[in-house]
Amino acid sequence: MEYMNKSLTQIHNALIKGEVTPLELVKEAIEKAKKDDNNAFEYICEKEALEAVKKLDESNKDSLLWGVPVVIKDNYSTKDIPTTASSNILNGYVPVFSAEAVIRLEKAGAIVIAKTTMDELAMGGSGTTGHLGVTYNPWDKSKTRIVGGSSCGSAAAMASGIVPIALGSDTGDSVRKPASYAALVGFKPTWGRISRFGLFPFATSLDHVGYFSRNVYDSAYLLNVLAGHDDKDFSSSFKEVNDYTSKINEGVINKRIAVIKGIIDSIKDKTVLASFDESINYLKKQGATVDVVEIDINLLKSIFPTYVIISCAEATSNNANLDGIKFGNRIEGESFEEVMMNTRTNGFSPLIKRRFVIGSFSLMRENQDELFVRAQKCRRMIVDAFNKVFEKYDAIYCPASPSIAPLIKGSSDTLSDEYLIADNYMAFGNMGGYPSITLPIGFENNMPFGANLTCKPFDEANLFSIANEIEKGTGLKDLVAKEGR
Amino acid sequence: MEFEAVIGLEIHVEMKTKSKMFSSAPVTFGSDPNTQINPIDMAFPGTLPQVNKQAVINAIRVSHALNMKIDNLVVFERKNYFYSDLPKGYQITQQFRPIGSDGYLTIQTSQGEKRIGIERLHMEEDTCKQLHSWDFSLLDYNRAGIPLIEIVSLPEMRSGEEAAKYVEKIRSIVTFLDVSDGKMEEGSLRCDVNISLREKGSTKFGTKVEIKNLNSINNIQKAIDFEISRQSIILEFGGHIEQETRRFDEGSKETVLMRVKTDAVDYKYFTDPNIAPIKLSKEFIEEAIKSSPELAESKLKRYKELGLNEYDSSLLIADKDISNYFDSGLKSGCSAKLLANWVIGDVQSCLNKDGESIKAFPVSALSLGKLILLVEKNEVSNKQAREVFAKMIETGKEANELVKEMGLSQVSDTGELLSIIKEVIDANPQSVIDYKAGKDRAIGFIVGQVMKKTQGKANPALANKLILEEINRR
Repeated sequence: MEYMNKSLTQIHNALIKGEVTPLELVKEAIEKAKKDDNNAFEYICEKEALEAVKKLDESNKDSLLWGVPVVIKDNYSTKDIPTTASSNILNGYVPVFSAEAVIRLEKAGAIVIAKTTMDELAMGGSGTTGHLGVTYNPWDKSKTRIVGGSSCGSAAAMASGIVPIALGSDTGDSVRKPASYAALVGFKPTWGRISRFGLFPFATSLDHVGYFSRNVYDSAYLLNVLAGHDDKDFSSSFKEVNDYTSKINEGVINKRIAVIKGIIDSIKDKTVLASFDESINYLKKQGATVDVVEIDINLLKSIFPTYVIISCAEATSNNANLDGIKFGNRIEGESFEEVMMNTRTNGFSPLIKRRFVIGSFSLMRENQDELFVRAQKCRRMIVDAFNKVFEKYDAIYCPASPSIAPLIKGSSDTLSDEYLIADNYMAFGNMGGYPSITLPIGFENNMPFGANLTCKPFDEANLFSIANEIEKGTGLKDLVAKEGR
Repeated sequence: MEFEAVIGLEIHVEMKTKSKMFSSAPVTFGSDPNTQINPIDMAFPGTLPQVNKQAVINAIRVSHALNMKIDNLVVFERKNYFYSDLPKGYQITQQFRPIGSDGYLTIQTSQGEKRIGIERLHMEEDTCKQLHSWDFSLLDYNRAGIPLIEIVSLPEMRSGEEAAKYVEKIRSIVTFLDVSDGKMEEGSLRCDVNISLREKGSTKFGTKVEIKNLNSINNIQKAIDFEISRQSIILEFGGHIEQETRRFDEGSKETVLMRVKTDAVDYKYFTDPNIAPIKLSKEFIEEAIKSSPELAESKLKRYKELGLNEYDSSLLIADKDISNYFDSGLKSGCSAKLLANWVIGDVQSCLNKDGESIKAFPVSALSLGKLILLVEKNEVSNKQAREVFAKMIETGKEANELVKEMGLSQVSDTGELLSIIKEVIDANPQSVIDYKAGKDRAIGFIVGQVMKKTQGKANPALANKLILEEINRR
């Protein structure tokens, strides 16, 4: 009997009935992880996980996460477990503390069985740039398609049915895009809702703790576990934590949903558009109002460049601690300058260096007004435009990607509208710090694609209830790649 | 040609808060290297800063003492550069909105009173301490993250003396406010000097030279005086000043070249997105100021109102701990004047002898006050009080207890004293005759005899009075 391909509730019921033990679950997950051929893992924590099962607190048995194996993206600090963020510069780094999100998962009874691969330092959207190479999309048996990034390993582990919950991180769409390519539910909350302490920073003002689940209910449940103020994160909110599952079945009657015209217009894939329309019709049938709303096309087109400038600028500063002096993979030299230069030259891939150059360039005194400050102004305008939509609507709903997962060798650099808008618009959720969820809505040639739903800050309960209704309509939940379709 | 020096100072003050500026690691001095640290100070990936509230309160208090405008929005920027002593690759500082701006302080110099403008005061964090050996360097992260305030003056000082007075005043303010130890020799107060010369009367600025490595107020004055004469000579002979950084060499008492300054570094400042701007309420700022420890100036005023003279008052406020000691002593209700004499005299000389801090002094201020009260009530003489004081230091016992133990209580009982006096006068009739013949000194002999008979316990004032009365009666 397999359990790791099930939902949290299914696994929990089996545990309660005594059909399976936490130890058996951990062994199943580790067994599957070892057989993984999609390059999902940086490090499998077999010994640590088997130790953790022994120490499980029986009094915590009501938690849906109790005894449940999970995987963690390799940019979360995990005490005594190697953490590299898939970058050579951090080879050999073993943190002395765990990230708050990891601590909260473990307190709820979850067992960390592995650290997952990612785009190097979370900077990338393809899942092909980590130091262990390309991570494949488990839905594509011929291994020709990406699973998306940067949380590629977590998405692949989920799609392969290795674990029922995986921690990712989302700075532009790094959870929500791979979720679309891998038939998963991918969620990030309001900025400040989950502590970022221990998450390796990429672009602080855009970084969010995010995660994958197999269905909307699990996603809502997980937020109950992870949300809440943390003194260690000065930006974490004091707002009280609701039970995010409580309203999940309240339906969509009288709810107002906005579809953004410029985003839909930039998508050419007929299958994606047809499935999306189908889900809209279902929502209308259930009592929701769905309107097509316009946002200035130039603002939509500016989301991506604005994101690039701000994220690269913050990234160049955030990663300045990786200098070989204190930790990580030091390359020696004759002076401290040489040590830093050698360490950073050898440790970062050319793609990362390119981002740092862009970031540094836009922060330089002579460019800052024209680039960094302008990007921040632009961010404000973009957020204002979306806030205006939220004045009248509960949620914004659009396809999460313009197509199924692209081929590994087929990505194009041309700035088409589809690339500029449909492929990158979801960063507006990071700019505004909005809660945002991606869930599967259809398949094309046995490859999945999803849609994205975004609400105003701290409106997570509403987000989950609408998402749950969409899920009911599509019937697409608890999907695992190897079972096919 | 006559030149005028244009001098501005940048002062870094290390705060003695319980914990660091952005981490909960303790702030201590003299601990073993790398024992007072946590992952934030080492910039381990994923760590985030938490703003130290006490540091903000301290910055408000110093800003207020320097007559500055206080910004009610606290914002921090990142100053980005790579250096081995900078763990994060950036320093968190306040570049765009310093918490204090546009202030001044007034100094007293040999030329009279002068007001020095202060441009800004901001909070930031310290770097780690480096120890360089011939082929390796050691890093001590204990210092990394200790809260600093930087105080930047306007270029309004004109001499080494003015600069020294300015630093003295700043030092007094930060120590009296309990913000810092203010010890230049230990690096808890650091001062960089910017100095240029120009023709007297000119409004243009000359080329600026920076002087670093100044570890005492004395050296600041010496370094500036040297630099003024160095630059004057160059300019006098038609040379020009290089823009450079120099350090003060203690051996030769001269400034020596460290490095020639090239274009200013671009630190790529931007607001730290980890720290949401903190809005300070009016109440918070007012409370910080209201609850602030008393400044030297205010103490000086208070001491004068207590009847102390300028000289004694200024001696007391020269050291915060001494003045705090004095203030605690006052609580005993003893005479301020007597207490001041004791603190400035006996107490200080004990301290100087042992080189100890008054904080470790074995006699509490209150106990000293009680001893002084005994003197005031004529229960012991001044001379006896000194003996008691010495014993107090030795044993830690209270004055009244020691007076009893040492059998020192003065004979202040008129009846008892009078019978002794009568005895003495009866035994020395010649003294009475001498006194009446105008030899005042004869009294002294009688007093001496009375003292001898009472083993020095007679209250001298009372004894004197009774002797005169008795002689006049005969």
